[in-house]
Amino acid sequence: MMTSLLGFLRFIFGALAIALAVLVTPIHAEPQVPPVNPQASAITEQSLLQQAPRIEGRIDIPNETASVLMQPDGRVWRYFHEVLLHWTGAILILGTIVLLAIAYFVVGRLRISAGRSGIKVLRFSAFERFSHWLTATCFVLLGLTGLNITFGKLLLLPLIGPEAFSTFSEGAKYVHNFVSFPFVLGLVLIITIWMKDNVLRKVDIVWLKEGGGFIPSKHPTAGRFNAGEKLVFWLALGAGVAVSVSGYLLLFPFYVTNIFGMQIAQGVHAVIAVLFIALIIGHIYIGTLGMEGAFEAMGTGSVDLNWAKEHHGLWLEEEIAKGRVSNLPASATPAE
Amino acid sequence: MARMKFLCDAERCIDCNACVTACKNENEVPWGINRRRVVTINDGKPGERSVSMACMHCTDPPCASVCPVSCFYVTLDHVVLHSKDLCIGCGYCFYACPFGAPQYPKVGNFGSRGKMDKCTYCAGGPEPDGSPEEFAKYGANRLAAGKLPLCAEMCSTKSLLAGDGEIIAEIYKDRVRKRGYGTGAWGWTTAYHEGIKV
Amino acid sequence: MAAFWGTNNADHQARICHSTTVAGVANTWGYGAMTNSYNDIRNAKTIMVMGGNPAEAHPVSLQHILEGKELNRANMIVIDPRMTRTAAHATEYVRVRPGTHIPTVYGMLWHIFKNGWEDKEFIHQRVYGMEDIRKEVEKWPPDEVERVTGLPEAQVKRIAEIFAKEKPSTLIWAMGQTQYTFGTANVRASCILLLATGNVGGFGSGANIFRGHDNVQGATDLGLDVTTLPLYYGLDENAWRHWCRVWEVDYDSMLSRFVDKTFMQTAGIPSTRWFDATLLPKDQVSQPDNMKAMFIMGHGGNTITRMPQAVKGIEALDLLVVCDPYPTTWAVLSERKNGTYLLPAGTSFEMNGTRTASNRSLQWGEQIVKPIFECKNDYDTMYLLARKLGFADQMFKNIKVENGSVSAEDILREINRGGWSTGYCGQSPERLKAHMRNQSKFDLVTLRAPKGDLEVGGDVYGLPWPCWGTPEFKHPGTPVLYNISLPVKEGGGTFRARFGVERDGVSLLSNGSYSRDSEIKDGYPEFTLSVLKRLGWDKDLTAQEMAVIQQVNPANPDAVSWQIDLSGGIQRVAIEHGCIPYGNGKARANAWNLPDPIPVHREVIFTSRPDLVAKYPTLPDARQFRVPNIGFTIQKAAVDKGVVKQFPLILTSGRLVEYEGGGEETRSNKWLAELKQFMFVEINPADAAERGIKESDWVWVTGPEGNAKAKMKALVTERMGKGVAWMPYHFAGWFEGVDQRSKYPKGADPIVLGESVNTLTTYGYDPFTGMQEPKATLCQIRAA
Repeated sequence: MMTSLLGFLRFIFGALAIALAVLVTPIHAEPQVPPVNPQASAITEQSLLQQAPRIEGRIDIPNETASVLMQPDGRVWRYFHEVLLHWTGAILILGTIVLLAIAYFVVGRLRISAGRSGIKVLRFSAFERFSHWLTATCFVLLGLTGLNITFGKLLLLPLIGPEAFSTFSEGAKYVHNFVSFPFVLGLVLIITIWMKDNVLRKVDIVWLKEGGGFIPSKHPTAGRFNAGEKLVFWLALGAGVAVSVSGYLLLFPFYVTNIFGMQIAQGVHAVIAVLFIALIIGHIYIGTLGMEGAFEAMGTGSVDLNWAKEHHGLWLEEEIAKGRVSNLPASATPAE
Repeated sequence: MARMKFLCDAERCIDCNACVTACKNENEVPWGINRRRVVTINDGKPGERSVSMACMHCTDPPCASVCPVSCFYVTLDHVVLHSKDLCIGCGYCFYACPFGAPQYPKVGNFGSRGKMDKCTYCAGGPEPDGSPEEFAKYGANRLAAGKLPLCAEMCSTKSLLAGDGEIIAEIYKDRVRKRGYGTGAWGWTTAYHEGIKV
Repeated sequence: MAAFWGTNNADHQARICHSTTVAGVANTWGYGAMTNSYNDIRNAKTIMVMGGNPAEAHPVSLQHILEGKELNRANMIVIDPRMTRTAAHATEYVRVRPGTHIPTVYGMLWHIFKNGWEDKEFIHQRVYGMEDIRKEVEKWPPDEVERVTGLPEAQVKRIAEIFAKEKPSTLIWAMGQTQYTFGTANVRASCILLLATGNVGGFGSGANIFRGHDNVQGATDLGLDVTTLPLYYGLDENAWRHWCRVWEVDYDSMLSRFVDKTFMQTAGIPSTRWFDATLLPKDQVSQPDNMKAMFIMGHGGNTITRMPQAVKGIEALDLLVVCDPYPTTWAVLSERKNGTYLLPAGTSFEMNGTRTASNRSLQWGEQIVKPIFECKNDYDTMYLLARKLGFADQMFKNIKVENGSVSAEDILREINRGGWSTGYCGQSPERLKAHMRNQSKFDLVTLRAPKGDLEVGGDVYGLPWPCWGTPEFKHPGTPVLYNISLPVKEGGGTFRARFGVERDGVSLLSNGSYSRDSEIKDGYPEFTLSVLKRLGWDKDLTAQEMAVIQQVNPANPDAVSWQIDLSGGIQRVAIEHGCIPYGNGKARANAWNLPDPIPVHREVIFTSRPDLVAKYPTLPDARQFRVPNIGFTIQKAAVDKGVVKQFPLILTSGRLVEYEGGGEETRSNKWLAELKQFMFVEINPADAAERGIKESDWVWVTGPEGNAKAKMKALVTERMGKGVAWMPYHFAGWFEGVDQRSKYPKGADPIVLGESVNTLTTYGYDPFTGMQEPKATLCQIRAA
């Protein structure tokens, strides 16, 4: 703004000066060579900053990023990372924990209404459990080391000092980079083995409408996975793909994108990761504290018959029909 | 206390790369690391201008702000430096820097990044001034000897100015007044949130 | 050394650089060097750069050019086929077709003469032959200029007006004018433009000729040239006798080293034609035998055109000696295996001695690094060779050699004792060392030290030649040549009366113009003893000086001139009376001894405009410098065969700021090599699009001679106009697509290798100097 005002004033002044000179000069004088204006085609910084998100030019060294003279978007990205991400991340993650705490104290642990039967049903095979725990462990490692990048300097650095923190963070960086590979493997396995069981069906809509088991009076049934679990699956799939792709762009910088692409990749990675962490915190809650009899599904692989009847009745029916459940009590009939 | 800045007068820069070569030589900068570079805008067209760019030693350095391990520090002369011992090579400073100053050697996982290196205003690093360790990691420390960065000293046309901001702004203003034109102090509004009023 | 060996086949890098400048400019007004200085450009009001890219070739000179432009609000006009980094800072950029310098200048002069913008008084007083120029200029009205050069009338008129009116105006040039088959004519056209507008001999004006590398001016001055002995004395008997006197060697013994007297006085083979002298049948080479042995000291193998021929030439030599810090292209270009010697030379930092800068100043350089490994400096190498050849004690009679180490000071003193013609006589080692000690005392723009200073008072930095008289005379040097506003004693001067006293009834002496405080208020001829006697000034000579003069020519002492008077007395006396020893003459717009007395436009040999060849052909074939020059035949054949259809792009070449010369040294420097890692060709975006070439693609470039081809990367830029392509000439190590890195001695290969542009450049030689034509030939480019 300053420059264009100055330019405008200079133009007016110049025009007046020329006009004055023309009036004053005698008519018969030899026409002067016009005054030098070497900057007729000058480029001001302001004009270029307005033209493009980046000011790029030519440079002869074979370094793709070096030809960018200025990228003011860096300041936007800084604001995003240092302000928006910090606040959003903190609110989302802490908020999730708070909400879950409230849920625990208000609603409490969801009990098996009929009490344990003592009879076990196999829910997840060894391979399925392996896939899940592979992904889960990796996720926890990735999540913590990832959070360290954003929040470490606020929370951990003051506690252990710069040298120790840097050593830790450098190790954390390597953990994050290399654990990404088994994470992706786990993600692929999970997607492959559970895709078909996670297709949304009508019963899931009903489940959702009836409050998903959180309303004590309603007892909606579900297949192998209820709508909540299916939601987790699909969100995890989407988020997993997003963080993986963006993560690999970050791991191999400037192989595919330019600076702007890298900033986008980082932004996507960070935001999705934070949301993903919040989601998984919820998932962990419901799989452990939140519901009686849930953990053993992934822990030992087998669940209590009554738990199955209560929460995944349709699945239990199918399993009994396939003859996979032994020691059925004589009077046992599926609920509803 | 002086506030150290660079100013590249785009009306004088001829892309001779003397500044680049001086920096490379004085600081023994390895192949592939470009602490200083000259970029030519509108190459071959009217209004072609060349600008020499390195770290601008910003007043509010974005690199320092986004660093996950806070390895940056600002000296009394307002030179922005960092510690390679603390740096973890994450690359965030490059995303944040509007001028592309941070450079990374292609070492470390998949050759993507090693520890960040950048223009130090020829002021070394956290090691003791003029020590061999300082030179090995960060290059020369001319500032401690009362000298200005070598890039500006070597500039063929006195286009690249280095020194206290007030002094070089005055030199630049004087030049613009005498010659009647100037394309502005590149990067000053971005780096220092101020321009030069001529 | 070549003299002692008995050959005139000794040449230097300026052959391919400014040989045409030296010849053309000297034949115009006396000396062929930069008339002013880089620093003096700060005084100019109009700076015209025509045929040069100082931003890349002389970056520090841009400090002076741009400061001048800024402080004086000066015009900076750049005329170049390429929009270079220099053109980016111009107030007016003029895109011209390569090889059309003379039509451009005549186009400007057409407007200047038509409107009466010329400096009539200057022409009347100090220029001979301008009427002949006027007649020639009439043949160049605006539409003909536009037809040949591509420049519109309005632009030519504008720059002509600016150049003529906004004075002082200076003209800067380099290879863009010199490297053509008509290079000598080109530079003379530039001189004529300056003369017509009265822009010579003043501060801020003049011909500011930018020389190429450190001390090339010194090399040219000291006669490392096939056409002359040191200091431009030439090769006639008087020249030889003079130097024999200085070297204290018997003339007849010197004569006996040559085949015969004719050969002693015949110009040798220039560096641009060496392979022709080696390969052509003996009857086509005017010397007893082909050239069989070559000793190369610090010259790149890839800087001379027609490299495929050079490959054959290298293989045909009996003996090849390369004395250089690096093996260079010579060692790897061909398949030659035997009879090749690499002598390690030290760099200029490993030795003492003077260097002469473009502005004629001499600076004394000290050794700052001792020679590393087995390297020897050039003096010591030459001493050892002279010893082996048996004439060391003759050659080094007056030069001290201690433990194989030659005294650089003594060499300079010998130059002082013999360098009267060019004014290399006053710059003693003592005076020059004092200058280096007191560098800070000299003013940035005037180059003078304050009069009162004890050591260097009143001197001009580096005592730019001519620095008249003996060192004791303490002449301050000449910052601006031909400057009549100063007394000769303070560095003033006139145009040299070099060409005689009159011609066809017209006086060649100046007409009422003379330098300040001159006792002769008109033109006067060169000074000899007889001239002094006529003026009665011979009485001012001391007895000692008279004795020396008598000794120089006992038979006819009156004929002894200021050039061969070893006492310096004639010079001293002339200057004491305010006169300059070389006379006060007119500059010649018509130089009758040149192939083209008036510059005439001729198309380049491989021209992109065959339609113009009929009207503007090159000069007829002839034998020059002992070998045939068949440019005319080749040009005609190219037109008849329609070469331009197959090779439609004009190929021109030039410099990069990162590399220097042949490039072996600079491409071995890791800092510089990183900045330009590939050989490339600059091509206009439209031309590239037509050929399906994108930025950084590999391309094959082919040339019209001998199926020449080269592979490199493409740099697509609007710098180039449509139809013109440009390559840097610093690369070597690849030949016709083959990487030759494995042929270099281990560890001595430069970091960056690439194709040489001179693989593709073609036949074409200036008749007066043997200059080559790498600035305009034809090529075709296609994606690889």
